[in-house]
Amino acid sequence: MVEKEVLKKIFFLQDLPDPMLEKIAAITEIETFEKDTILFQRDQKLNLLYMLVSGKVLLKINTASGKSLTLDKVTAGRTFGIASLMKESSSSFSATCGETCSIISISGEEIHKLFSEDFKMGHKLMLQVVKLFKSRMERHTSQFLHSLSTHPEIKQLQET
Amino acid sequence: MVKIEDLRRISMFKNSPDHLLEIISKEAKLSIFNTDTQLITIHEKVDTFYMLIMGQVAVIRELTPEIDVILDYVQSGASFGISSIVIGATATYTAICQEPCEVITLSGDRMIELFEENHELAYYMMLDVSRQYKRYMDIRANMILKTLGEKREIKEKIHNIESLSY
Repeated sequence: MVEKEVLKKIFFLQDLPDPMLEKIAAITEIETFEKDTILFQRDQKLNLLYMLVSGKVLLKINTASGKSLTLDKVTAGRTFGIASLMKESSSSFSATCGETCSIISISGEEIHKLFSEDFKMGHKLMLQVVKLFKSRMERHTSQFLHSLSTHPEIKQLQET
Repeated sequence: MVKIEDLRRISMFKNSPDHLLEIISKEAKLSIFNTDTQLITIHEKVDTFYMLIMGQVAVIRELTPEIDVILDYVQSGASFGISSIVIGATATYTAICQEPCEVITLSGDRMIELFEENHELAYYMMLDVSRQYKRYMDIRANMILKTLGEKREIKEKIHNIESLSY
């Protein structure tokens, strides 16, 4: 169980009133991980939702040529492994500790049970997930368009 | 009003409980849009949540003032216009019918009202929308990797994809 005050440092939970935070606190655990610990691999079914209290976590993906690309650097206060909230969903990337990390984890199954008992909480947090995914989707689209705009064939097209 | 069986043709509602689909069916309308109808305009408020029964809708972004990119073709069974059910959100793309389209529509403002009255409906709808977003994000991430993979000079220069963000 994690102290309510620690949970308040997590952006994803910041809008929750105290009674809801207390319910969440009851199903959370906190653990310290060494640098280079792999928390999960790409395509792995995710059972845990992670919240970073301190340290840095790297979300990576491998290209077909085997090159490792860092998609995101997760900093303190942020949440990752959100696929665990979507039953039977696997991760699109791997997560590795970039330094020693203190991480809160919640079982996806437990949190769904909680949401089914308290739909108001489920609504609040899943709306947060939708907003988070919406902004991440927009970021991915910008990344794609930027990489496309520098493609030689597009440049050629612009010159003609 | 739309029949529950019609709502079941939409991927995100395939496993939704009947009592929630009943609520949605009362609010939903069936519309037909002609080819080239612009349903969503980038950066503008989206009023309607769309669920495609038949037809095809192009999801478009401007690459340069001269070049538009079709990011995706929405096919029957898919839904779009999620911004309509998120307070304060605006469209991040333009959506245009590529052929005559049969579409189930929901008023975004009415759905937001309903969410406040019925948190179970809101929770399941947000869960379904999240799953859809995740599928789209995976597709988009693969598009980025493919673009990088095809461009040797970029692939070699960029180690951190974050540098591609604005």
